Amino acid sequence: MEKQNKDLNRRQFLKSSAIAVSALAAVGAGVGYLQKVTAETRINRNFLRPPGAIDEDTFIYGCIKCGLCVQICPIQAIKLAGIKEGLAYGTPYINVREQACDFSCDSLQCVETCPTAVLYFKQFKDAGEKAVEEYVKTHKTDENFNPFPVQIKAMKSIVKMGIAKLNPETCLAYQGKGFKGTPRGKDFKGVNRSPYTNDAKATPVAEKYYDEKICDICVKECPIGDTAIVMTDIGGKTVPKVLDGCTGCGVCVMVCPTEGPSIIVEPIKS
Amino acid sequence: MFGKNKKQPLPSKPKEEMPYTKEGLTLKEWRKKHQKPHKWRTRRWAVLIGIHTLFFLSFTFDLSILEGSLSGSRLLGFYLMDPFNTAQELAISFLTGHWKMLTMNYVIGIITIIIFYSLVGGRSFCSWICPYHLLAELSEKLHNYLVKKKKIKEHTFDISLRWVFWVGFILLAIFTKNLVFEDLNPVGILSRAIIYGPGLILLWILILITFEIVYSKRFWCRYVCPVGATYSIIGHVTPVTVKFDLDKCAHCLDCQQVCLVPHELWFVKRGAATDKHHTTGSDCTRCGLCVDACPGDALKFTVKGIDKLT
Repeated sequence: MEKQNKDLNRRQFLKSSAIAVSALAAVGAGVGYLQKVTAETRINRNFLRPPGAIDEDTFIYGCIKCGLCVQICPIQAIKLAGIKEGLAYGTPYINVREQACDFSCDSLQCVETCPTAVLYFKQFKDAGEKAVEEYVKTHKTDENFNPFPVQIKAMKSIVKMGIAKLNPETCLAYQGKGFKGTPRGKDFKGVNRSPYTNDAKATPVAEKYYDEKICDICVKECPIGDTAIVMTDIGGKTVPKVLDGCTGCGVCVMVCPTEGPSIIVEPIKS
Repeated sequence: MFGKNKKQPLPSKPKEEMPYTKEGLTLKEWRKKHQKPHKWRTRRWAVLIGIHTLFFLSFTFDLSILEGSLSGSRLLGFYLMDPFNTAQELAISFLTGHWKMLTMNYVIGIITIIIFYSLVGGRSFCSWICPYHLLAELSEKLHNYLVKKKKIKEHTFDISLRWVFWVGFILLAIFTKNLVFEDLNPVGILSRAIIYGPGLILLWILILITFEIVYSKRFWCRYVCPVGATYSIIGHVTPVTVKFDLDKCAHCLDCQQVCLVPHELWFVKRGAATDKHHTTGSDCTRCGLCVDACPGDALKFTVKGIDKLT
């Protein structure tokens, strides 16, 4: 009797195991399929990762979806993706048109906080330390000795979330037009810290007012400065030009006054 | 289970030695007399709800107390990591080389969790922290009611099934290079929904709960969840357990009725105990329901080592 029971139990266990294994195999096949289909479209739809993100193939398994980067960002630029993003569900992204990363945290906190290093901090730490070393050598006797700005500048200059790309067809400057007013309207919720002010924190874009003869808001607001985007003369017109120093932070996209942005950030396809 | 009780059971107690006979009552009267309030359940639910409120408040009002979510969090600056998530991640990253990049905070986080849960023991995470557990605990009541009314039939499986899932999910993670389980994990999903706002993914939770109500009691927790299974491994050797005293037991089985993992209370059946004292094993969630339910105080929380001093 007992032996029979044991046999029955074993048979039942094997049966349910078989169902379990096939269920897992189905999940595996589904994941494999989604991986192929959605990874491509994510990149094509300009799905931007936070600063310091490593390659997407590693990111997708390295990120444990804890949301610490979301919590630490002082301007709430980072969001967690929904299930529409398929396998990227729960991973962080930045929608630069709504809220770009303007580096106003001054220390790349999201990268520093990431426990799994899919936002890889070591590269920034090394770059910052190297810059400070250089600075100390030359400015040792300086009255206003302050290595902090140098460190931050070095750190953010090697961020590469993507690269900005201008659309000459809609860009106001290409049409010789200026801009007067508030670029995204009074109801826009995005914030940024303008580099031409001494503000410590980011201020709402809706409170900013421009009166430009030729529209150059993207160049004015760029947190990186003249290594990333400048106004240049092309055939008698003064237009913005994106340079290699662009970090892909997306502030230019956020402040662009045209209906659809005339400048976008494309992720780097590796 | 797996040759756990090789020892011969002790002979069943005669009626004269039963605790209710000693008090001069019948079993029914004795059980009624010794009904107790749900002391431990109140504490446990307070802790569970408190932790998730803290998560929510920390994000909403930017308090740096308990940040992140249950898949990885930071308590007052100290990192804590989900153990099964870590197992998957390490399995993949040892193959790809990503492990070299992992931060010290990550290592501290997982070591803290391992030390903490091997101290408090078993699957205490499940009943004290897991948000899905609270839902399942409530839906279990509904399920029991439906079974009692004969609206549905009970379906049980072998609990070893979870090891099939455990290995399966690790292998899936390795083959697909994805944290597959994290996409299905109700712990993480609910935790993120509470903190960062709900999403369509909650439909998955609804499917699971419905399945548990109409088909099999606590299906996910008992037979699938590899997070709980991982905690079973971590909390295997532990000082904190529920201790059973055969002399005080009247074999009323009230404790098995309320227990979330009834196989852990195998020794309360008449004639099953092999010793005067038993302690619950690593599947025990330390929920305290049996402690509250036991009319004879035969089941009590104990800290091994310290209980001998007093």
